[in-house]
Amino acid sequence: MAQRNPTLDRPVAIDTTAIRVREQGIERRARFRSISEPLGLLIALVVLLIVFSLLNDRFLTIGNAQNILTQASIPLIIAVGATLVILLGSIDLSVEGVMGAAGMTWILLTANSRGGEGLGAWAWVIALGVALLFGLANGLIFTGLKVPSFIVTLGMWYVGLGFATILYGRDLFPRLEDAALKGWTSQLTLGLPNAFWLALLVIGIGLAVVRYTRVGRVALAIGNSETIARAAGLPAFRVKVAVFAIAAVLSGLGGILATIQLDIGSPLVGSGLLFIVIPAVVIGGTSLGGGRGGILRTVLGVFLLTVLNNGLILSGVDTSWQSAVSGVILVAAIVFAAWSHRDRLGVAK
Amino acid sequence: MSLSSQRGRIARASAFAAAASLALVGCTTTAGSGGEDAGPIAKEDIVLVASVINTANPYFTANIEGAEALAAELDLPLEIVDSENSSQTEISKIQAILAQGKKVVMFVNTVASSDTPTIVDAVTRAGGYVSIWWNKPDEFEPWDQSDNFVAFQKHPGIESGRCNAQAIGDALGGEGNVIMLPGVADSTTSQTRVVGFKAELEENYPGITILEEQPSNWDPVLANQNARDMIAKYGDEIDAVWSADDGMQLGALQAFEDAGLLEQVKFASDGLYPDTVELMKEGYGNNAIVGETFHRGYMASAIGLYTAYLAATGEIDPSELPNEKRTSFFDIKCVTPDNLDEYAQYDEPGAAAAFVKELIENGPWDTEPATLVGGGGPEVLD
Repeated sequence: MAQRNPTLDRPVAIDTTAIRVREQGIERRARFRSISEPLGLLIALVVLLIVFSLLNDRFLTIGNAQNILTQASIPLIIAVGATLVILLGSIDLSVEGVMGAAGMTWILLTANSRGGEGLGAWAWVIALGVALLFGLANGLIFTGLKVPSFIVTLGMWYVGLGFATILYGRDLFPRLEDAALKGWTSQLTLGLPNAFWLALLVIGIGLAVVRYTRVGRVALAIGNSETIARAAGLPAFRVKVAVFAIAAVLSGLGGILATIQLDIGSPLVGSGLLFIVIPAVVIGGTSLGGGRGGILRTVLGVFLLTVLNNGLILSGVDTSWQSAVSGVILVAAIVFAAWSHRDRLGVAK
Repeated sequence: MSLSSQRGRIARASAFAAAASLALVGCTTTAGSGGEDAGPIAKEDIVLVASVINTANPYFTANIEGAEALAAELDLPLEIVDSENSSQTEISKIQAILAQGKKVVMFVNTVASSDTPTIVDAVTRAGGYVSIWWNKPDEFEPWDQSDNFVAFQKHPGIESGRCNAQAIGDALGGEGNVIMLPGVADSTTSQTRVVGFKAELEENYPGITILEEQPSNWDPVLANQNARDMIAKYGDEIDAVWSADDGMQLGALQAFEDAGLLEQVKFASDGLYPDTVELMKEGYGNNAIVGETFHRGYMASAIGLYTAYLAATGEIDPSELPNEKRTSFFDIKCVTPDNLDEYAQYDEPGAAAAFVKELIENGPWDTEPATLVGGGGPEVLD
């Protein structure tokens, strides 16, 4: 038997300095990341603003700022709901269908050129109720029947469009005749468009839901790991249904606002919005895998896309080049903004 | 078996079923080949089919209205294809109808020019007859194909653009700035309207400057957004707005109304939608709408279907027809607030049925207000 090492026989003070330094490093990097990710996006946005304002001196005017805020309002409202759904690790593709269904319901129940007195506030309640039903259907089929949300909401997109098309019928476009509502979305209150105030309210409520309510916390837990969330006794079923319901009501609200903005009811009033909203959420850094991200980042994502579209038109980029240029700038902005967390995006598959 | 592997199996099984049914459609369609030699089709075997781009636009719903009026008058069954803005949906729905083995007489308002050869090929192989409206590739002419591709028909875009340019040019007194909202950038319908508009300004209104063109995909929502951006860019420099159709114009009007600029800007567009008629009548926005072109969706579908029907029943022989009756341009009318009332009759209840009666009496090329005015090849600037 070999002689024992005497130094091991007595308790030693283990030097943990290296471990602590490492831990502090990890913590510092995590803290840096949580600031640097949105910061990267913010810098990308500022760079765009500077470049566009150099290209056209009308870009950085109050008038155009109000225009951008009006255009961002509807995507912002819908993106709050979409962020919650994506935090769950699910997706809601029914946005445009629900917008059409709620928008058509609303205008046909409001004073419009097809006749009728209009139901006033009840039109809002019923239209948002229709949207809520779509959301509940999405949530219940997804959760109860365990059909992937991608499929359920894709189907519901077309159900919504179909519902709106049936309401539209074969008649003329129904035009809004309520004088108080005409142009309401872009009218200014305290210097900001009304629709944008509404968007701020929705964003505020959305933030409060995520931070301070059980629904928000459970949704994040489900996004991180549904198995653990369920094992911990969290009400996964109810929260998932609630999140889809919230998202659909916000899509419905977006549909009504889009109808007011356009002044006419059309089943296609939401066309193209899905491809602003979902990219905005992902660009903001909310992981498609769920559990990571947040509403404020989505707000940055929406602004990045809105400013890009507006700026390209104002800077006079040839129309046949616009779509390609927009794509290139977008990818560049994301690479720049997301460099620090490219290993954790969770979508680079 | 785990749930996921079960799901995998179901997915594979459904994929196989989908592939098999597609193959079946292919077979059935091929089985119907030889339609060219089959001779006239008995009237009782015919099914009328009208295919439209979507059903959420007054023009396309009017297409359906015209098809319904003709089906009622001829006492034939009618099927409607809603392409839902997608070439793929359009083609697969048409193939599904052909696969049922019926003898179809078809009107197709194609989603994209490039859909035409595929549709013509499928209809030909199934022994049906088709008229295509608005969009086809320039070089794909009916006389180079078969009798089953009876006709390509449209209203001339160049004429439409010229008519709008005159209205704007006159309203501005020959001086000012205009922005343009074309439709889908690669649509020949939109392109020809743009060409006509620009040519007329260049030739007769040199004092008018085109500030910018923003294609808006025939989409009122996009037109509204683009108009807002251009208002931000040019402000009150904009004196007039041209849109390639009335749907986009409705979106643009609202943007200018919101910006408080409506009263000082003039608008012109194509299609004279009934909504537009109302706005023109009430003098909306200091008579903002100064020019329109008149044509109706129900006339297009009735003319298209009836031409194909005559070929199917052997009353006309497409191969004997002059080229301008195979690739045909039908008249459009220039409308201003002054002559607006003349066109009210075509929007009264029962107008489609009345048009169809006259169409059957006078034939597809001689029915007012949409008489044959040219054709025989792609539209060119005169």
